[in-house]
Amino acid sequence: MRKNKLLGIAGGVLAALSLSSGNALAQSSTLDTVKQRGHLRCQVGVPSPGFYQLSQDGTWSGSDVSICRAVAAAIFGDPNKVEFQSVTSAVRFTALANGESDMLSRTTTWTLFRETQLGLDFTAVNFYDGQGFMVPKDSGIKSALELKGATVCVLTGTTTELNLTDFSRQHGLDIQPVVFEDNNVRDDTYIKGGCDAITNDKSSLASSRAKFPDQSAHIILPETISKEPLGPVVRQGDSQWRDVVLWTVFALIGAEEYGVNSKNVDEMRANPPNPEVARMLGVEGDLNKGLGLSKEWAYNIIKTVGNYGEVYDKYMGDGSPEGIGIPRDGSANALWTKGGLMYAPPFR
Amino acid sequence: MATDNTQPGQDAAIVFEPKQSRSAPVASVGVIGWLRENLFYSWFSTIVTVVVAWGMFEGAAYLYDWGVTKAVFEAESRRQCLNTSPDGACWAGIIDWMNGFMYGRYPDEEQWRINLGGVLLIAWVLPFWLPNLKGKIGIGMSAVMVYPFLAAYLFLGGERGVFLNLMVFLAITLLVLNWVHVVLFYLTGRTLTENLVRMTGFEHRPETTHKYPMLALVAVVWGCVYAWLGDWQLELVRTNLWGGLFLTIVIAGVAIVSALPGGVALALARRSTMPVIRVFAITFIELFRSVPLITVLFMAVTMMPLFLPEDFQLNKLVQVMIGVCLFAAAYMAEVVRGGLQAIPNGQYEAAKAMGLSYWKMMNLVILPQALKLMIPNIVGNFMGLLKDTTLVSIIGLYDMLNMLKAVGQNPIWIGLHKEPLVFGAAIYFVLCFAMSKYSQRLERTIGQGNTGR
Repeated sequence: MRKNKLLGIAGGVLAALSLSSGNALAQSSTLDTVKQRGHLRCQVGVPSPGFYQLSQDGTWSGSDVSICRAVAAAIFGDPNKVEFQSVTSAVRFTALANGESDMLSRTTTWTLFRETQLGLDFTAVNFYDGQGFMVPKDSGIKSALELKGATVCVLTGTTTELNLTDFSRQHGLDIQPVVFEDNNVRDDTYIKGGCDAITNDKSSLASSRAKFPDQSAHIILPETISKEPLGPVVRQGDSQWRDVVLWTVFALIGAEEYGVNSKNVDEMRANPPNPEVARMLGVEGDLNKGLGLSKEWAYNIIKTVGNYGEVYDKYMGDGSPEGIGIPRDGSANALWTKGGLMYAPPFR
Repeated sequence: MATDNTQPGQDAAIVFEPKQSRSAPVASVGVIGWLRENLFYSWFSTIVTVVVAWGMFEGAAYLYDWGVTKAVFEAESRRQCLNTSPDGACWAGIIDWMNGFMYGRYPDEEQWRINLGGVLLIAWVLPFWLPNLKGKIGIGMSAVMVYPFLAAYLFLGGERGVFLNLMVFLAITLLVLNWVHVVLFYLTGRTLTENLVRMTGFEHRPETTHKYPMLALVAVVWGCVYAWLGDWQLELVRTNLWGGLFLTIVIAGVAIVSALPGGVALALARRSTMPVIRVFAITFIELFRSVPLITVLFMAVTMMPLFLPEDFQLNKLVQVMIGVCLFAAAYMAEVVRGGLQAIPNGQYEAAKAMGLSYWKMMNLVILPQALKLMIPNIVGNFMGLLKDTTLVSIIGLYDMLNMLKAVGQNPIWIGLHKEPLVFGAAIYFVLCFAMSKYSQRLERTIGQGNTGR
């Protein structure tokens, strides 16, 4: 997802070309390198509301930033032992391949091409995004299928544009795309009535809406016309490191499922309600050994970062003042027990 | 005629008496005349004037309305700004983020170090503006050669190696001695070296030994400074935290300082008769001039590590600086070459006829004339460089532009994107305009005493 996707692919091909040296890097374990260095190098994108945002005192926050902090907490017990690298999407895969970053946590869509040809390993999905439409409420439009002959504002050079034409052709809607380079200009045009709807990934639509003077006057239509599973990415060929990142995400999701959060985690560790929680928090068994982490790895994650639900509510949800307002209930981002897709394999 | 005052009946001899000239028609002098001449000369120019004046007025009125009358200066968030005045600028966000724009992600409690670095730089270059002072070249050399080490340590902190220890304390030593020199010069009319030579009685010895008292003094003061500040250590602030206007100025400053000597060297090499040197210079200049800066930066940051051994970690900022310096030197070389070519051949021939060596010819005859001619172009180049540094935002350095863009992505100030850019434009205008004005002054002062050209 995100703009400059094509550029990103170009950068990725470059990264793939340099795989020979990428493999050389992989020979020494990333986990050992990180431990030796004393901090994690985690790559995020240029500031984007909800996912990774910068505050005026220079601290990073957001849902993808929380993944970085969780990995740092798992390794060091300290969520602040991270050096954040913020580069544009055109350079992202090269910076991972050349060893500058240890991992990417920056709204990167999991695709077959990237997984197989760019020297990347995708881990777990921490956010299910998808392209949608936003229209003014008083237009009376309730479904994207009613957009017949409408003008739709879209960012150029992205797959969003291609998805839009596909969608229009498939349903015979004859949509007129109006293309923009910059999303601020696109939003201004939409607000002034220059187009009937705007299309982008739904998370991005939500943050656009958060900018508008009157937020309640715009609705995001229910249809999702593309799949954008986003999650952290590591270099190919270091399965131990991949396991660390993968199970960090699973620990976040699992903790929510078992009702462990940053406030009750101490209590849960003192008397675990069930063996699963006991194993996860390191009270029983030695699951940590395979990962090469300390016994408290999952405890540290939940204690310092929170569980998946806490992170989601803080940065993405519609409840908190900081959140960008994407409802979770009924979406793919809900827990599997609530009809969503967030599912962690057993801790055993 | 009203002005004719010859009396009738007097001697008939005709006395020439000039008529008093009539004053120019009201319509061609003063404000009205100027207006007629320049703004309302014909019906066409009248229409153009009216349309442009109306447009300017509307634009200014809109800007004033947006930026001042309806603007919000105090608010907690952009939402609050929108609720107060939806059509006005939200300067509250700019005020809230001012620290970020200036220092980037540099820790708050360490920012005094940047300010101190700026104050030291001013203290260093202040003697340049003092009239009639001798030894300005020495002061300038010390500013270029050792100040960067002191500033680098101030900004970066951490542990000092042997070399950095030497340079940092040498910098402090020279700063102190520069000012001792300035004070002594105005008291005694002699430079510090001359005073030292007198005091130590070296005046009777050969002139080549006159530098020894000065060197001894530097060594003694260095020792004192070392004894005083030897344990002094600052907390490490890694370069990935540097940002804002501070980073912009650091990158542009390094590039500007290195561009001129690099450019002069390359230009001389390109005009050299030695084939290897000439071919090297031509290749270098043409290579760097024919690729965009962003490509150079991209190569420097993402590709270079691939060719280096695995454990060899380069600092991103250093990589960027090297890239920008090489790029700036290549452009500067062509400016200098243009200046060199403007010097008539007679100057070269005359210098050679006087028996001057190549370097003496260049230093004493050609370059002083050529550099003066090049000032407007050099400063134009510097301004371009200052603005080009915004490209580092693409490879993930948080310079001022990136900080300006980050405001509108922060949930508190979400969507605030016009105001930061207007503010950034104002900052760049101030910097560039100051450079431009200074270059004009420089042209005038250097031009004095050599008005032949």
